[in-house]
Amino acid sequence: MMQDEIIRYEGVGMVYDSKKVLSGFNLRIKQGQKILLKGKSGTGKSTLFKMLLGFEKPTEGTLYYRNQPVDSSRVWEIRKEVAYVSQETDLGEGPVKVLLEEIFSYHPNRDKMDSEKLHALMQDFELEEDTLDKNYEDLSGGEKQRIGILIALVLGREIFLLDEATSALDSELKKKVADYFLEQEELTLFIISHDREWEKERVKVVELNKTGRNKK
Amino acid sequence: MEIPDISILSMIFCFLLLVIPLVISYAIKLHIIHVTAGSVTRMTTQLFLVGIFLTFIFDLNNGLLNLTWVLMMVFTATYTTIRNVGLKMEKLFFPMLLSFAVANLSVVLYFNEFVLDLEKILEARYLIPIGGMILGNSLRGNVVGIGEFYEDIRRNENRYLYNLSLGAKKYEALLPYIRKCLRSALRPTLANIATAGLVFLPGLMTGQILGGASPILSIKYQISIMIAIYVSTVMSTTFCILSTTQTTFDEYGLIKKEIYKEKKRKKEYRHHSH
Repeated sequence: MMQDEIIRYEGVGMVYDSKKVLSGFNLRIKQGQKILLKGKSGTGKSTLFKMLLGFEKPTEGTLYYRNQPVDSSRVWEIRKEVAYVSQETDLGEGPVKVLLEEIFSYHPNRDKMDSEKLHALMQDFELEEDTLDKNYEDLSGGEKQRIGILIALVLGREIFLLDEATSALDSELKKKVADYFLEQEELTLFIISHDREWEKERVKVVELNKTGRNKK
Repeated sequence: MEIPDISILSMIFCFLLLVIPLVISYAIKLHIIHVTAGSVTRMTTQLFLVGIFLTFIFDLNNGLLNLTWVLMMVFTATYTTIRNVGLKMEKLFFPMLLSFAVANLSVVLYFNEFVLDLEKILEARYLIPIGGMILGNSLRGNVVGIGEFYEDIRRNENRYLYNLSLGAKKYEALLPYIRKCLRSALRPTLANIATAGLVFLPGLMTGQILGGASPILSIKYQISIMIAIYVSTVMSTTFCILSTTQTTFDEYGLIKKEIYKEKKRKKEYRHHSH
């Protein structure tokens, strides 16, 4: 059972400018699990994702990825295996096509580009074909968000960190995206969202309260 | 042809011209009398000292000494650049010094050896003024380039982090920023090249014509020096960015926040002039 564990937070806490945003957070995520993290804004939800990617360092506690502590060498491996959809949709500029080319030129992503999958997903998520020729910065919030999701999916990774990934979509699209992810049993999903579409029976909900401690 | 000498009396005549700005300043209460006097005094003193020093250096014309003089200019240029972009010296000084030295010295030495075909490539008359021109111009490019690079990383850190999250190496994730700031750094130099001779005669050419050289010879010098300046600006800015990123990012690939000066940052470096 131990080898199936992907992510583990052990007593993780974070202090920003002497303000505690997170303390004593514990969580264990096994392969194929779908976890929905809920809590008011400012409870440090996004911080938990950023810690795993090495963008923030916890001020207390330890994170484990596949049973090994997350340190400066481990984060580079995690970044190759985990797909992150950020709440921030300012991902770049210039034609979407060029943006994709650049992303798929990174070493771990070479030969991951699957045009068929890309076009099928664009159709599923109601993106026009000419979106690829448009400048990313000219797209609407919802379109940007779908491009971010698309990139994460085409990368073909199996572990996803989805931070408010569907917030700018209409409810029909929210449902489509959420269902697409939740239907795939092998995917490990760690989700932050206020959208009800993610609350399905196979999803385990974890609540974060004000002090950033999770209820057990 | 001989260059006419400027006697003490002639210098006094020249300074007399300053009465005009002073009168204007007085008449319309421009309040630049004080600043003008200060700047002119400073310039005169500095150039006077440089004149004495260069006379000394030119007389000795010792290759090693000339090279040392250029290296001191490199040192000053590095210091000035970092100070102008509002970053702390600590992490940046050494990599930038090295980049400036490698980029500029190689171009100057190549220029002296192959373009001017000098018998002695460390000849003071050539090494010092040409080195100075190349260095001064690449400094300007670097102030824009390095300044924009670190400002951009700070303001748009999200994009960089997103690239890292996709599995990019630090260098790959930084590429869009590097491209953008290099373009900005080179734009003024390219504009200068493209308009050379149209608006005014460039400094080097003017000096040579005054010195009695033929217009054709002086444009040949001008063309060569502009190419040398362009090449050294590209090289030094690229080297500076690549080398400083070795010391300004931590092992997680994150920018070290302590390289930025805490104080409110002025935008004055964009108006830096020579």
